[in-house]
Amino acid sequence: MEIAVLVKSAPDAETRLRANAAGTGLDTDGVKWVLAGYDESAVEQALLLKESVPGSRVRALAFGPSPRSEEVLRAAIALGCDAATWVEQPSDLAVDPILAARALAHALSTLPSDLVLAGKQSGDDEQGLVAAAVGELLGRPSFSGVTDLRFDAAAGRFTFSRAVEGGTETGAAPPPVVIGLQQAWNDPRTAKLPNILKSRKAPIDRLAWAGVAAALGEHAAARSTAARFRLPPPRTGAKMISYKTPEEAAKELVRLLREEAKVFP
Amino acid sequence: MPEFTLTEEQTSLRDLARKFARTEMLPRAAECDRTGRFPEEVYRKAHEIGLMNLNVPTAYGGAGLGLVEQCLITEELARACSGMTTTISANNLALEPIVLGGSEEQKQRILPPFCGRYNLASFCLTEPSGGSDAGALRTRARRSGDEYTLNGEKCFITNAPHADLYTVFATIDPELRHKGITAFVVPRTAVGVVAGKDEEKMGQRASSTGTVRFEDVRVPVADRLGQEGDGFSIAMRTLDQTRTPIGALATGIAQAALDYASDYALKRHAFGKAIAEHQAIQIKLANMAQDVAASRLLTWQAAWTIDHGQRGTLESSLAKCFASDAAMRVTDEAIQIFGGYGYMREYPVEKLLRDAKLTQIYEGSNEIQRIVIAREHLRAYA
Repeated sequence: MEIAVLVKSAPDAETRLRANAAGTGLDTDGVKWVLAGYDESAVEQALLLKESVPGSRVRALAFGPSPRSEEVLRAAIALGCDAATWVEQPSDLAVDPILAARALAHALSTLPSDLVLAGKQSGDDEQGLVAAAVGELLGRPSFSGVTDLRFDAAAGRFTFSRAVEGGTETGAAPPPVVIGLQQAWNDPRTAKLPNILKSRKAPIDRLAWAGVAAALGEHAAARSTAARFRLPPPRTGAKMISYKTPEEAAKELVRLLREEAKVFP
Repeated sequence: MPEFTLTEEQTSLRDLARKFARTEMLPRAAECDRTGRFPEEVYRKAHEIGLMNLNVPTAYGGAGLGLVEQCLITEELARACSGMTTTISANNLALEPIVLGGSEEQKQRILPPFCGRYNLASFCLTEPSGGSDAGALRTRARRSGDEYTLNGEKCFITNAPHADLYTVFATIDPELRHKGITAFVVPRTAVGVVAGKDEEKMGQRASSTGTVRFEDVRVPVADRLGQEGDGFSIAMRTLDQTRTPIGALATGIAQAALDYASDYALKRHAFGKAIAEHQAIQIKLANMAQDVAASRLLTWQAAWTIDHGQRGTLESSLAKCFASDAAMRVTDEAIQIFGGYGYMREYPVEKLLRDAKLTQIYEGSNEIQRIVIAREHLRAYA
């Protein structure tokens, strides 16, 4: 089975985020980029399938700027992916999810894939569009929010679950399909140190932007841009109640809840 | 001039260690400190993902890392728990004599099976009657035919109760002093090897320390490292390699103390503002930050020097001695910043001070380091 897994670099959860000077996006200065949680789960799923279906191969693909895109691809190789393709995004090119999907779909159209996996959304922008749009562009069915994806070799189809309001939906589809995975349901493995060292020397196939742009023609530009980007306002401090006795504190708390927070009538 | 920017490879190794430290070590650190439990599940997992036997060349089943990479990993691990880090690193110390002093046949025979699965090893130099004066050790090796018989006792041996393999330093004749010291590889299964119980320690309580007695232990000549009398040189060259990561380990402890203290100083209020806004606290934090940065840079310098083929005796002593003394100062000030809470076991900083103390003592006490530093320093003037 040929499995393609789409990965994207996202800021490490511990990075302190700031808006850029123009207020239109993230200030990327000093940001540590990592393979984000949803994509870690997608890679894990790809590797589990590879291990369960003999003869499978996993190729990781990333569309994004250098060097962080190559770095997440190396992380994917260190985890166990067999090959990697970097779809180049010039650092000054504005991108939206549909452009990313078009670039990745173009790359996928040149590669064999029975299954395209991705996190159901990226770890940063969280638009949740790329996997579905890739499915649409490739003319393949796509499913999102998937957990517990397996390949039923006898029936020649994938089976999977999706958490839905109030329960679990199960589904099945023959290859080729595009699947957006839920995060952290499969306990992604940790790369082993020797594999990290080996991944540094692994080849990464590069699809230059010029070729991608030529193939996309009039669609080679983002149609949407962020007008404004701002972080949530800092949370205001807690209100400390000064008191002499617990009774006094409780009385004051009830007064504040009623008069200021207005949680009681 | 050396670069201070880490390569992508170094960054990814550091990130691996950081992730392992935060997810596997830190959540167990307080519990193991309180109970003295030896968290074998952590060590098994460290082996599984490749964080053990870092110094053993890949040809013999190790990670084959340089000292800079070893130090980056060690600092991250120690930032979470230096006791666990000591257990993990003790294999490097115990296996280095084989890497440095073993024949090709010995390395091929001993190292790959050892490194291939989870095994612990112990470096057995120190004895109840002395540690720093290694030339005066009393464990005897008497040769008869194709084997030696070992008799004696070693103490303060890291991993001793859990080790599968011991590198043992014994003398063929005490009169010869350091020229009589000879190194051997002894499996735990050898008849007459008696590993004592875990010692109760002040700090680094997730590590295991104990005595090992050798009672008429028969060791084939094939398991002697180098020639008779090579043992002292093997031990000293081993310590030249492993001293620098102790600087990294101490830096990790100090960094943890600085992290906790800075975070607390920004949250704790006194006299209407965060205590970090009071100059008395700022001066402490500034001094601590200097100590941590200087420790790290001295450690990197020593590692870089040795990775570039020099012996690095002075540089590694500077790093180990400074970083361990600095770790004591920094952890002490962290407790002071936490005030009464810092003295309480419920908070994480008093552990760091107890852990740091050991770094001034093991792998060459800081008194020995100062002798070395002074000797190397004065050599330039004599």
